[in-house]
Amino acid sequence: MNRHNKFEFPEVIKTPSRFRNPIGKYRLNRTGDCIACGKCVEICPYGVHVMKRGRVFVKNHYLCVGPDCPEPCHEACPVQALSLKRNPDFDVMGDFRWPPDLLASTWHMAEFGEMPQAGLEYRIGDSGGGFDKLRLKFKDGASGHGSGPDGPDEDVDLGLDLNRRNDNAHRIRAEVPFYGGGMSYGSVSITTMLSRIKAFAALGTFCCTGEGGYPDELKPYDDNVITQVATGLFGVKEETIRRVKIVEFKYAQGAKPGLGGHLLGDKVTPGVARMREAVVGYPLFSPFPFHSVYSVEDHKKHVDWIKAINPRALVSVKVSTPNDVDMVAVGSYYAGAHIIHLDGSYGGTGAAPDIAKKNIAMPIEYAIPKVHRFLQDEGVRDKITVIASGGLRTPHDVAKIIALGADGVCTGTADLVALECIRCHNCESGRGCARGIATTDPELMKLIEFEWGTQRVLNMFLAWRKELIRIIRKFGMKSLKELVGRTDCLAHLDYMKK
Amino acid sequence: MQQDQNILSIIQSRKSLLKDVPRARHYETEAEGGCGVTGFACSIPVRGKHIFEPSKQMHNRGNGRGGGIAAMGFDHRMLGVSGEILEKDYLLQIATLEEGVIDDLEQRFIEPWFRVDFSERIPHVTDYRDIPGLDVRPPDVWRFFLRVKPDVLKAFMAEKGLKGLSKRQAEDEFVFQNSFKINKTYYDAYGKQQAFVLSHGRNFFILKIVGYAEQVVQYYKLDDFKAHIWIAHQRYPTKGRVWHPAGAHPFIGLNEALVHNGDFANYHSVAEYLSQRNVYPLFLTDTEVSVQLFDLYSRTYGYPMEYVIEALAPTMERDFDQLPPEKQQAYRAIQATHIHGSPDGPWFFIIARNDTQNGRLQLIGITDTAMLRPQVFALHDGQVQVGLICSEKQAIDATLKSLSEEDPRVGTAADRYWNARGGSYTDGGAFIFNLDKNDQGSLERRLTCEDKFGREIKVTEGKVPYLPGRVYYTMEDEDRDRFEISNFFELQQPDLLYEYVKDGIKTWDYADTMDCLREIRAWALKGVAHFEVALEALTRLIDHRYPTYDKKPRSILQMVNQTLETIFRHFPSLEMEDEKATYRLIDWETRQFFRGPSNKEKVLVIDASLFTPEGDHCDSRLMAEAFYRGWRRFIVFALKGQRFHGCGFGPDTGGVRIDVYGSSGDYIGSGIDGLSIYVHGNAQDQLGQIMKSGRMVIYGDTGQTFMYGAKGGEVYVMGNAAGRPLINAVGKPRVVINGTCLDYLGESFMAGDPLNGGGFVILNGVEFDDEGHVRPQAVPYPGSNLFSLASGGAVYVRDPFQTVDDQQLNAGEIVGLEEKDWDLILPYLRENERLFGISIEKDLLKVRGETKGPLDVYRKVRPKKAADVEEDGLEEWGK
Repeated sequence: MNRHNKFEFPEVIKTPSRFRNPIGKYRLNRTGDCIACGKCVEICPYGVHVMKRGRVFVKNHYLCVGPDCPEPCHEACPVQALSLKRNPDFDVMGDFRWPPDLLASTWHMAEFGEMPQAGLEYRIGDSGGGFDKLRLKFKDGASGHGSGPDGPDEDVDLGLDLNRRNDNAHRIRAEVPFYGGGMSYGSVSITTMLSRIKAFAALGTFCCTGEGGYPDELKPYDDNVITQVATGLFGVKEETIRRVKIVEFKYAQGAKPGLGGHLLGDKVTPGVARMREAVVGYPLFSPFPFHSVYSVEDHKKHVDWIKAINPRALVSVKVSTPNDVDMVAVGSYYAGAHIIHLDGSYGGTGAAPDIAKKNIAMPIEYAIPKVHRFLQDEGVRDKITVIASGGLRTPHDVAKIIALGADGVCTGTADLVALECIRCHNCESGRGCARGIATTDPELMKLIEFEWGTQRVLNMFLAWRKELIRIIRKFGMKSLKELVGRTDCLAHLDYMKK
Repeated sequence: MQQDQNILSIIQSRKSLLKDVPRARHYETEAEGGCGVTGFACSIPVRGKHIFEPSKQMHNRGNGRGGGIAAMGFDHRMLGVSGEILEKDYLLQIATLEEGVIDDLEQRFIEPWFRVDFSERIPHVTDYRDIPGLDVRPPDVWRFFLRVKPDVLKAFMAEKGLKGLSKRQAEDEFVFQNSFKINKTYYDAYGKQQAFVLSHGRNFFILKIVGYAEQVVQYYKLDDFKAHIWIAHQRYPTKGRVWHPAGAHPFIGLNEALVHNGDFANYHSVAEYLSQRNVYPLFLTDTEVSVQLFDLYSRTYGYPMEYVIEALAPTMERDFDQLPPEKQQAYRAIQATHIHGSPDGPWFFIIARNDTQNGRLQLIGITDTAMLRPQVFALHDGQVQVGLICSEKQAIDATLKSLSEEDPRVGTAADRYWNARGGSYTDGGAFIFNLDKNDQGSLERRLTCEDKFGREIKVTEGKVPYLPGRVYYTMEDEDRDRFEISNFFELQQPDLLYEYVKDGIKTWDYADTMDCLREIRAWALKGVAHFEVALEALTRLIDHRYPTYDKKPRSILQMVNQTLETIFRHFPSLEMEDEKATYRLIDWETRQFFRGPSNKEKVLVIDASLFTPEGDHCDSRLMAEAFYRGWRRFIVFALKGQRFHGCGFGPDTGGVRIDVYGSSGDYIGSGIDGLSIYVHGNAQDQLGQIMKSGRMVIYGDTGQTFMYGAKGGEVYVMGNAAGRPLINAVGKPRVVINGTCLDYLGESFMAGDPLNGGGFVILNGVEFDDEGHVRPQAVPYPGSNLFSLASGGAVYVRDPFQTVDDQQLNAGEIVGLEEKDWDLILPYLRENERLFGISIEKDLLKVRGETKGPLDVYRKVRPKKAADVEEDGLEEWGK
């Protein structure tokens, strides 16, 4: 049990935006009346104003917390030279699931490794359902705000044991209750891929390759890589399966159950085609099923096959959330899986067709309790690790889904947001990701530097970790495991007594 | 008209049954994925223990949460009734899950209505815990032989308006409805479960438990119980509440028992379709509705078998177009009426049916239109005839082996093995084994096999099988060296030895052949050099096709295999340290004496017979471990479906060679990168998945999803590939398939430009006749889908009569061959010739006796250029 104490989490290093004018919620306007008295610089707790060579600038609009500010500069200004208004650019970003507040707060976490202090709603989105209608219910009636009891962070155990079968496979543990979901080489750039993997490795957890092969650049992180065996079998080789500790079967994605992976022809550049050994410029469709797996006993055979290639590998089974997801889960367990990964319907990048994304599969907050309870009734809940994914945006979402019955989560979009994704939904248009994240274009790819990307992702997750520790403490618990399945720690707004 | 009236009246008569059925708001299926199914029909009644072996072989297709068997066609003396009673009475079997409930049931549902000719509680093992692995106590089973009382029947017919029916038809319906009432009263899938009807047809019964199928045989003491037809099912349910015995297969119609492998997607729609015809499922599995469909079509509607099959597995697309017009008309009508009842998705049925009208017993296998489930059929002819249907070929071999151990008239291999092409115009995707009575009094029946369209499947006539039981005398004046084979050994000429035996078969009888093989064995054991001559010659005798004259090829094969196995087993075991030998043997007992090779040791011979099919203790895992300890050459023999050979060796394994003898299992060579595998015999499913490089040679057919997602490698298949070969293959796989494929060859093929280092498939569409001559198959590619959605690579089809047409292509185009294409494929065809003896000049380029140019014989299927590729400006990437 002391093992996790030996693990040392990396430090937060402040990593500002790579753009000159990061998008903020508010704008401060300074008129020519300014007398450069320095009052605003002095009182602003957030470093928005800067005094330089006798003049005062609003340097960091994006740090302004607006009306939440305890010492509003525009009120304190002796000459009323400052005025505050909302940044109109801000409100056109994102969508209901990832409203601008969440985007900006994630950027804040990626820059500072802290939750934003004020001015931004960093716990929930605007979807009007799902996690946005759930609230953590602390005993004293307090909401998620404020800080909990003190003590060293190391006292709280967020770790996640991934192998609970006690079989021959590796005994591995993730130091944080999340790991990186699969994003293939081709759907995102190699820099994005590497940044994520290096960050997850530094956090003592894992990151999945997606189904586009296993680029050699990932070799240094073999121990922290999950290689995906998906229906297209792109880039899947015995060598890659042998290299890793966890192999993930992707049967379906929550964003588009019933559809296989789809890489647009435009994204199949020579580099991507080489990795997947396919033809340049042709779209790559993965079949929707594994053609060799049409039933559970085929699935068992498939798992046995992976174990024949790499006997010590953990097997994770990623499925979407159909109505009988509980049965799928228990079937996977009996077939020898160590991890059942349920991918709910909120996830998916722009490449998943809207009709699929918005209409099929069960929301993850329904699927998880169903599976959790079913596995409990079967008496095998403690033999398998349940991972949830699909639209988990914040540490609060993580705490909620764990309270609903998951052991841990898998992230994807949040990582991209840390890299300054603005959720413009242009991933499906080819290589033209405006932020150089989901692109294989050699020029656009250069928009991200590897070190910068790694630190951004790392900072965000360090902030998540801190917040999760705070939540756990607030519940009076010592370890995240205690929270699993504690639906009594949650409240749903629709069902609360007024 | 009368018939229409009868159909209506039967359907109407069931209405009252459904009144008090607790209707669920949704028809909820308890999905259960696939399972292992097996069945065989034998011309003589055989013991239940023979279903034991194949059931055990397919353990990994079940999870021990439901197993069942059905037996059909008995010797009346084993049941303690007269022959007439067995023939004419209904054999009602009731399983009870509660003490005492049988008395109530008898009082309410049997005594008032039936004349009971015989009844008993069937024997079972005293304590179920004596059977290892059986956790749940199986139900007690009561067996009744009964007929409906005449006055009861009369009243029933009058009340229900069944006047038009014959008495027997009405009696059938009465029994059927009575069983429904019993189930309704004593069995609620969601609640109270006291008793249920196992079976109620004539001359057959069903038993099922929560456990494995072979435990049924053990628990109910059926080891020595004899029947003509046995079917068994290993269930793999995954949802908690269906782990009750009534949820296990087989399910009943009236005179049929059905087992099912698969899981179809439209349970709700099928259940809805049935409810419109007053049929209601009670046990919540898709198998139950399957057999209800079958019963509806065959008994209520009175369809002939062909139409029953068509209603279940409709003929679609191009296959439909290939049918003769009169069939199209009939099929269109069937489809228009019954398409909503047609199960959609992966399924495969094995049905045991007592066709009481014609006095024949039937074993039927039907596969779905999309061919999503693995299935193998086999026919064994001889003094004892056996027809077999299984999920895996190795289960067939296991059944035959088990049968042959008891009765030497049965060989260890079948005469023919084949796959069905679901919903096709070629075979209809279904085969029926019929057991007809020979003459009065004799228990022996005659077995015939036909496809959906009634075309008979036969084995070549006029060939005699080998009977090991018989004593073959050596004439006294024959001296010991009557075979002149010493030269072949001394001069190292295995090819001449092969030719010698091959030619000898013409004049020898089985005794001579056996003697010759014995002598070869004696030579082989003299030393490594001699052994290698024998090994090569015997292997060729297994691999190649040659005339066997008056003898059955399967018998020759059996003898050669036996000889080879005996030789292998004579090798010094690996546990003996001091022996100096090139070949070392390892088996299950000696596996812990496992070590790397010393300098003289070259080849590890693995006796696979006792190894598990997968997991930590399987022989393929041992082989991979041996590779890491330095072994490079492997021979594995006596396989019984063990899987994953060649997996787990990692990259850069050039120079490693594996020879596989026996009934090989799934996933051979999936993932290999460099090594060579030779499969001596038919291969099973999922071969060469994600194969990176290396070489595979298959002296026979291969199964489903061959080379799925392969990246490269060179593969030669002597026979056919089943469904879905080379799906999603990329890179540079180069494959020669000498036979054909069921369907979906090269879907989403993405293997670059074959003329520029990419991959391709050569499809020859030929087969061997009984004389070992190569002849073209009817068409090189009968499937409806060829090279669909492909973006790279090519398929070269030997198609001199241009039968492949645009209708089969989706995103592909067919073009003539160019010289450079021929130059590309020629070396592969040469190698193919060397391996299988399929000559380019004499066989492949001969069309109706005339030699043609390659450009006239082969055609090329290649991907159409994607429209958006052109306009998308590939010049950006220097194209």
